[in-house]
Amino acid sequence: MSLPSAYTEAPARRFNVGDRVAVKAANPPGHRRTPHYIRGKRGVIERVCGVFPNPEELAYGFNGEPKRVLYRVRFQQRDLWANYSGSARDAIELEIYEHWLEPA
Amino acid sequence: MKHHHDHSHDRSFDEGPTSEYEIMSRAMQELLIERGIITAEEVRRRMEQFDADFPYRGPRVIAHAWADPAFKARLLADGKRACAEFGLDLEAERLIAVENTPDVHNVIVCTLCSCYPRALLGMPPTWYKSENYRRRVVREPRAVLAEFGTIVPEHVAVRVHDSNADMRYVVVPMRPAGTDGWSEAELARIITRDSLVGVTLPKV
Amino acid sequence: MSEKQPHDMGGDPGGPIDTVDHGMKFWEKQANALRNTLSRRQIVRLDELRRAAEDLGSRYYELQYFERTTEALRTVLIERGYFSEAQLRAKMAEVRRRDESA
Repeated sequence: MSLPSAYTEAPARRFNVGDRVAVKAANPPGHRRTPHYIRGKRGVIERVCGVFPNPEELAYGFNGEPKRVLYRVRFQQRDLWANYSGSARDAIELEIYEHWLEPA
Repeated sequence: MKHHHDHSHDRSFDEGPTSEYEIMSRAMQELLIERGIITAEEVRRRMEQFDADFPYRGPRVIAHAWADPAFKARLLADGKRACAEFGLDLEAERLIAVENTPDVHNVIVCTLCSCYPRALLGMPPTWYKSENYRRRVVREPRAVLAEFGTIVPEHVAVRVHDSNADMRYVVVPMRPAGTDGWSEAELARIITRDSLVGVTLPKV
Repeated sequence: MSEKQPHDMGGDPGGPIDTVDHGMKFWEKQANALRNTLSRRQIVRLDELRRAAEDLGSRYYELQYFERTTEALRTVLIERGYFSEAQLRAKMAEVRRRDESA
């Protein structure tokens, strides 16, 4: 019996590790898992997490299908905050759904 | 006003008047039990797991990773799978382990709501759920770490992980010097919960 | 375009952090176990609970963590028809009466 994994396969995906992406600057109402502080910002795909039912739909009792691809995206802190007071190499990583991403 | 508690072996008495929300939670539980949706035993067993089981798992997994480099590599590749191999069922949680190195220090947050790898670490501490932690650690992580007594040198990058969607995170701290030859049980004793969230470092 | 909701607080200005872990009261542990049992068995979905907490809007900051999660659970259980507002109120009154007569 195979062991469970943190990841699922995402063969039909738009982005790959290393791709530069931008998070959409949209502000739709309703349940979203894309924090405001990251919207409109640019980063790099760090990891492909897999496909998951869309939480924006699950939140309202829908089944969240078709599943959406989820990525981990790395952002440089100095790109996010004016007057960032840490090191130039400091970073933040978030999980962003594919429909929130555009190529950068 | 007296409180109806199943004290059993639990000594966390609640002081003061019973809050509206406590009444609400107990009432909801009773309604669901009456309707046959859940049983009191299920809830009680879950409380027990959160108290007596989950909090002890994280230190054991990381101690094993320190002692066994091949396991550590598997843990970093797929946290959920490695924990399953180790005999731990993380249930629905998709664990990603992130490693502290001489160049990188990791710290975990969930800015949107306080998601946390509960099946590995138990319940999050009150500071993790606090508004000021959720607000500030993504923007000024070094200042936040300093409030916990942790100063990260300039040449070490601080990497914040906001567990904002489906994955959960645990930090694998660096094994401190002076622990050569220690058993996994001895190692587990210095691996604090706070070091697995990334706000402190394990100390010998 | 809608405005940022209270729960979406990453990057907002904030004050000092109380770095002591104050633990959980008994009722909070029980409330957590209840919530966890229900979501694990998919009786409610975690995403629905999150959404219900987010919909607290300005009340988000008026409530403590477990008050929010309890309020959110109430919303979702009523939405899903497990009981009505009136049934919950009646049960709450009953629980209170029992406490007071103990």
